[in-house]
Amino acid sequence: MNAAMVKRLIVKDWYLQRVVIIGSLVAGALSLAVIGLGGKPGFILGLILLVTVLIGVGAQLAVATMVFERKEQTLSFVMSLPISYKEYTASKILGNLIIFLVVWLTLLCGSLGAIAISPDKPFGLVPFVAIMATEILVSTCLIYTVALTTEHQGWTIGAIITGNLALNGIGYYVAHIASIARGMEGHSVQWSPAASTLLAAEFVLIVLMLGFTFLFQSRKKDFI
Amino acid sequence: MNSISVQFEGVGKHYPDFTLDNISFELPTGSILGFIGPNGAGKSTTIRILMGLIHQDQGAVRVLGHSMPEEQAAAKLDIGFVSEDMRLYGAATVGWHMEFIRSIYPRWDQPYAASLLHRFDIKPQQKIRGLSHGQRVKAALLLALARRPRLLVLDEPTTGLDPVARQEVLGELMAVLADEERTILFSSHNTLDVEQISDQIMFIDRGRIIDSDDKESFLDRWRRLRLVLSPDAVLPRFSGIVGVGGSGLLPVLTTNCFEPRMVSECRNMGAIVQAVDTMTLEEIFVANVQSRREGNLV
Amino acid sequence: MYSSLVISQSDGRPMYLQIMEQIKQRVAVGEWARGDEIPSIRQLAVALRVSVITVKRAYLELEREGVIVTQHGKGSMVAHDPDLSPRLYEQELTEHLDHAARLGALLGLRPDELTSRLKRAAQRLIKEHV
Repeated sequence: MNAAMVKRLIVKDWYLQRVVIIGSLVAGALSLAVIGLGGKPGFILGLILLVTVLIGVGAQLAVATMVFERKEQTLSFVMSLPISYKEYTASKILGNLIIFLVVWLTLLCGSLGAIAISPDKPFGLVPFVAIMATEILVSTCLIYTVALTTEHQGWTIGAIITGNLALNGIGYYVAHIASIARGMEGHSVQWSPAASTLLAAEFVLIVLMLGFTFLFQSRKKDFI
Repeated sequence: MNSISVQFEGVGKHYPDFTLDNISFELPTGSILGFIGPNGAGKSTTIRILMGLIHQDQGAVRVLGHSMPEEQAAAKLDIGFVSEDMRLYGAATVGWHMEFIRSIYPRWDQPYAASLLHRFDIKPQQKIRGLSHGQRVKAALLLALARRPRLLVLDEPTTGLDPVARQEVLGELMAVLADEERTILFSSHNTLDVEQISDQIMFIDRGRIIDSDDKESFLDRWRRLRLVLSPDAVLPRFSGIVGVGGSGLLPVLTTNCFEPRMVSECRNMGAIVQAVDTMTLEEIFVANVQSRREGNLV
Repeated sequence: MYSSLVISQSDGRPMYLQIMEQIKQRVAVGEWARGDEIPSIRQLAVALRVSVITVKRAYLELEREGVIVTQHGKGSMVAHDPDLSPRLYEQELTEHLDHAARLGALLGLRPDELTSRLKRAAQRLIKEHV
């Protein structure tokens, strides 16, 4: 793996997507400000905004850097550079993930911070927040996997929709798991076995999907 | 120094509706290979295999001493590639592209790039989106040329260019060849371009290489014999005739292995040889494809 | 100096013949003097935008005819042969006479008619030059 080449490809994608990236960072900061305004309405509104920005930037960047590379016929330009599928795939996943993680960590820290400064200290929410935040990461990695392996807009939109439905479904499901639901009301963090298992499963899923993406790309016979 | 820049050995690739079959050729360092074929004949597939962008199902490909597709990253460090369907980033400027390529290729030649900008009449601050088709092709070519590659691979570089731009591009390609260590492979369906600057010529049709030779031999081998027959004479027949045209009494024979003895053989068989015409590459190509498809040539 | 050779795509003759002819002319009129170094194959190819192999062939034929001499590693130069210029057009004259004979046959001219017309053409040329 040629790290210098991967870096150049990432910087290239960031430069080309600079409007989207800066826009989403600004929107993320605004959402934080809304959360900071305080009060339950501010917290909920800010959180919804932040989740929207997060899902939006994840999907938009994935489509623009992964699917459009083929659609706009710039793929043969990129692949004419001294790289193999490894550098290409790594640059796409890392480039997208880094931007995404910046916003994602903002969301995570923002929510945890809001919990911490909230007058009634609802620390019981932490496991739920962690599981849901990681779920958004899972959904986004699903988009990367589908976008990179199919390079097809239709399939990628399908993955975006699936990811969103999963987010809502899992949110509902997790909130109704008795052991987790019980803890949510409390003022201290309570990691039930169910919560730990779920969180671990999410991370395993992320590793599996990214691993599959590299494996699939390495077995691709026709890159153009 | 490896004197063979590109080597294909029995390369094949199968698709449901197209098969690239047993492609073998060698491209010596310092020469230009013109790759001619109708649309859909397999030119682009062959070139993509050469670049490692498509993996062959069988056969071996070596480019600049590297085995493809496994060592494509190393090989591509010395290759400049432009294809007809390649696009640059529309929202970025020519200058940004130049800076990007320059950061990758250590041999990038900035003064040469600047002179190409000037000759191609492109400005670095122009966005790719605002360029005409010809300018886009020339911008892509500039990026490939100024990295000073040992091998230039060009898939239909002159398609859609106006005559002035075409001559500019051909001139730059020839200028590359002033250095004996540089090699060019370019595909075209414009046989005039190929005839003008190529050393080696390769014809491809329906996924097979149907003929391949150095250009001078090609042009020497193919001739058209215009005959006049008396009503009772029979059409001379001998090996090496790949096509018979014209009318009954005024037949025209096409051969792909001309020798002066053919003229005397025609005379011996009672025909008057009115003329022995040389053929252009285009005529040779069309005759070649037709006779193969008709089964006169195997 | 050598880019002043002009190669025509519509000239029916192969490009190597055109190059040969133009080099012979350069030598005949003395623009390229005997013993002068001439451009390398690659230089001429680049200047004319014509493939290297075509120029190489022209040089080989010119060498065979004794118009130029090529020394390995030193490039090519015009030969020192003193009978050079007159000999150059011998082959071309034969070709043109053959062509005239063919045209004459098409027009139904007898050999003696053809000869007399050639004589007249030659006399016309002498008059024009006087």
